[in-house]
Parts: sequence; C-alpha cells; structure tokens
Amino acid sequence: MSDTLDMVDKLLADLKNVGGVMACAAASRDGLLIRSIMQNEKYVESLAAMSATMLGAAETATTHVDMGIPTRVIVESDNGKLIVVGAGPNALLILLANKNSGLGLILLELDKSAQKLKEILT
Amino acid sequence: MVETGIPKLDEFLGGGIPKGKSLVYYSQPGVEGEIFGLQTVYGTLKKGGTCVFVVSSTMPEIIKDQIKEFGWDMNSYKDKLFFVDSYNPLIGAHSDEKYVVSNPDNIEYFNKTITDIIKKLPPSTIVFGSLSTIMDLCGEKETIEAVRNWNKLAMVYDHVLVYNFTAWPYSEQTLDLIKGSLFNSVITIGGIAERVIFGQYFGILKSDWAEVSRKSMLFRVLRPGGIRIFIPKILVTGPFDAGKSTFVHALSTRAISVDRLGTTIAMDHGHVDYKGFSADIFGTPGQERFDPIIKLLSGESMGVFLIVDSTNPSDFVRAKYMLDITKSYGLPYVIIANKQDLPGALKPEEIREQFHLPEDVPVVPVVAKDKKGVFEAFEVLIDRITGGV
Repeated sequence: MSDTLDMVDKLLADLKNVGGVMACAAASRDGLLIRSIMQNEKYVESLAAMSATMLGAAETATTHVDMGIPTRVIVESDNGKLIVVGAGPNALLILLANKNSGLGLILLELDKSAQKLKEILT
Repeated sequence: MVETGIPKLDEFLGGGIPKGKSLVYYSQPGVEGEIFGLQTVYGTLKKGGTCVFVVSSTMPEIIKDQIKEFGWDMNSYKDKLFFVDSYNPLIGAHSDEKYVVSNPDNIEYFNKTITDIIKKLPPSTIVFGSLSTIMDLCGEKETIEAVRNWNKLAMVYDHVLVYNFTAWPYSEQTLDLIKGSLFNSVITIGGIAERVIFGQYFGILKSDWAEVSRKSMLFRVLRPGGIRIFIPKILVTGPFDAGKSTFVHALSTRAISVDRLGTTIAMDHGHVDYKGFSADIFGTPGQERFDPIIKLLSGESMGVFLIVDSTNPSDFVRAKYMLDITKSYGLPYVIIANKQDLPGALKPEEIREQFHLPEDVPVVPVVAKDKKGVFEAFEVLIDRITGGV
C-alpha cells in the first residue's frame, strides 16, 4: 500500500510544480480523499467531497442531453480556478490554480497526471 | 489492568492489559506503529499509573515534543513518567535522564538497567519505543533471550511490558517467535489499499487472557488527539425535509452544506471527532430529482443513518426506496426517528411497525435541531459498524 501511496504523492508533487498551480489532490469518484498537497489541510476532505459532487453532477447533466461525458469541470472565480478531471472509473484529480495563470500547460499536465493516476490505481 | 489508551482495543482485550502480561505492537514498515506504544504510555498515566519509556531510536526530547504535538499534558505526570535513554549514549551525547543505558549496543547493559527497574519500581507499565532498534544493535538472538527474561521478571513483579516492533526483514525464526510464543499478546498494525480506500489498521493476532475476535479496525493519527478509529464514510440519507442537513450539522465537529432555497442540492459533508472515533459524514439530498447524484456519491459507505420525519408516515416508502438506491442493504444502518418534539410524532416502535423493519434494526428517537439523541444514534451505529462488543 505504501508503494501506491508513494506513487500518488510523487504524481501530486510533480503536478504542484507546474507554474501557477497552488494545490492539488486525488480523490475517489465517490468523494473520499486519497492524498493532497494543500495549504489548508483542514478543509481538503470537504473539497474532495464537493469536487466529486460537481464532476458527478456535470456528468449526469451532460449525458442526459446527449453531450457525452465531460472532459473536465472548470470553476472560475475572481481569486483563482478550480479544475476537476476524472482519472479512470475510480478516481479523480482536483487542482487549484491562481487567477493569472494560463490554463494551456496546466490542462496538458493535468490530463497526463490523470492518465497516470488511472494506471496507478488499476 | 492497564489501558492501552486505544479506543476499542481495550474493549477487545477485555478491559486492557492485566498486570504481569506482555504485549507487542507488531507493525509493518511504513505505518505509524510507534504511536501505539506512546498512546499506551498516556493511557497508563491518565489512570494514575507509573510509566517507563525506553527510548532507542531517537532523543527523549523528540519524544517529549511528540507528546506535546498530541496535546497531552505531561507536566502533571512528571513524577510518574521516566525515560530510559539508550539513544544519546549511542551518538556520544550527554543524557539528563534518570536511567541511561551506557552501552546500547551490548544487551548486557540493557539487561542490567531493565532488570534494575523491574525490581525497584512499583508495578508500572514499561514501554519499549523500538524493540527493532535494540535488535539491530544487539543482535536478534541476544535480544530475544533478554526479552524472554524481562517478560518472566515482569510477571513475577507485576509490571506490564509493552513493545513497539517493526517487522523489518529479520530471520523467519525471529519473526515467528515475536508473532508467536514470546509475548502474551500480539497486536498487528498494517496498511491496506482496498480499491481507493487507503488506510492503516490494527487487529489482535493473539491474546492469552481475552477471547480474540479477528476483527481489525481502521485508524488514523490526529495531532492533536492521538489514535482514532477511522470511519471514512457514513451516509446520511432520507426523504425530503426529514432533517438530514440538521442532523449532519448537529453531529459534526465541523460541517458544510450546499443549500439553495432551504434544501440541500448537492450534499452535506461533516467531520465527527467523538469518543475516540473519527468519521466523515456524507449527507445526500432528499428530493427525487437528485437521485443520480446520490447513486454516485454513496459508494464505499461503512454505515448509514436513514432519517425519517416521525410526523410524516407517508414518506416511509420513499425512505425505504432511498436505502435501496444508496445500496445500503447489507450495510449496518440505523433509523433516525427525527422531529420527536412535534405533536403527532410516531414513537420509535410505531415507526418500526409501519416500516416492517426487522427486530434488530435500531430506531433511535432524535430531535436533530436541539441535538437531542444524535450522539446516542452515532454510538449505536458505530457499535454496529465495529461489531459492538
């Protein structure tokens, strides 16, 4: 088990190093936190639960109108961006970016990490 | 009896560790096993006992800092807690502790100090911070011989001996002895990765004074706090307007909800830290249009609260259906008969009848808005999840 977690930690650390990324976390599709790199650890479990809800709600909404499964959920606010992507059938990745960062590189790296997380967890 | 200080473990052991017995915390490498010994130190002190902590793998000062991190006030136990320092001499530093093992790479020096303590101190709990470190320094065979002797002495002098041991790749024979005949009781501590639940667990491998149930418990280590039984997900569900969010907030140490127009649209999430248990609570929305989300989020639950409005029996069908869509059958569940303060509220027994519930499903009367009955309900569910003793 420590091997798997080490791999998840490494993956998150790499993702955190991408320019503009403030925090990131891995969670299960049903909202349980797996691991995180975050300043305020206290609320990270709630963040995991809420992010899973958002992604789940988005999937339910789009599939019902024949839009297929969404690639990601991006939430923009005045202070930053919150991105949630699915990582295989069991997990998802959560990322917080600061408001000025361009999303191009971040999304690219996030998708790569999601693919890796999927592999790690299967 | 000395308490281990670890919730549920004392219960499983029939109250704790009897005088004269030995116990080993046998951890896989990589899990937080060494905290168990420390928790037992605190468990002993809290009950007015005397404690000796044998420090082998780090400085006594660091252990004291750890104790502070857990928020345990050691000042009031100053005269009851002694350290045996076998680390500072190893690195050639000076030690201020009362007991010092001057040559910690020779088991004879340990023997002398420990034997001395066992013979002189009144019945106490003697905790070895790291038996594996002693073994690394003094040799496997030599250490085992010494331990065998200490355990016998402790039996005669009525001490309790507790060892932290990390199962590094020692010889098969050594590991078998440690798991087998060397100690009166063996508690195993390990890690699991089951689908997406990653956690640490402990279980009783053997105990010669209590009947052993093979059950193992997830735990996590809180700072401050110490070891807590960890329940990653408890689901709170029930029909519209039954009081689910109110219940989550009444129970939780901290909680958040996504509410619009007075009803939950996404979910409630709360965290409970109560009587040695740490649990995360997920509250679902109640209205039918949110059912797809409920299905998504209810996976991996370990137990369920089904909240019903006791004044509204027409909703009971919907309530039963919600147990169904959350796939809660087969999980331990408790019916929360909420709004007991309102006129016309059905009694728990009447609800059981209308629900056609099996006799063994608990129905707990609750007034969630006044926090009445919520912690009782929590205890009932926890007992069912942990197989109640």
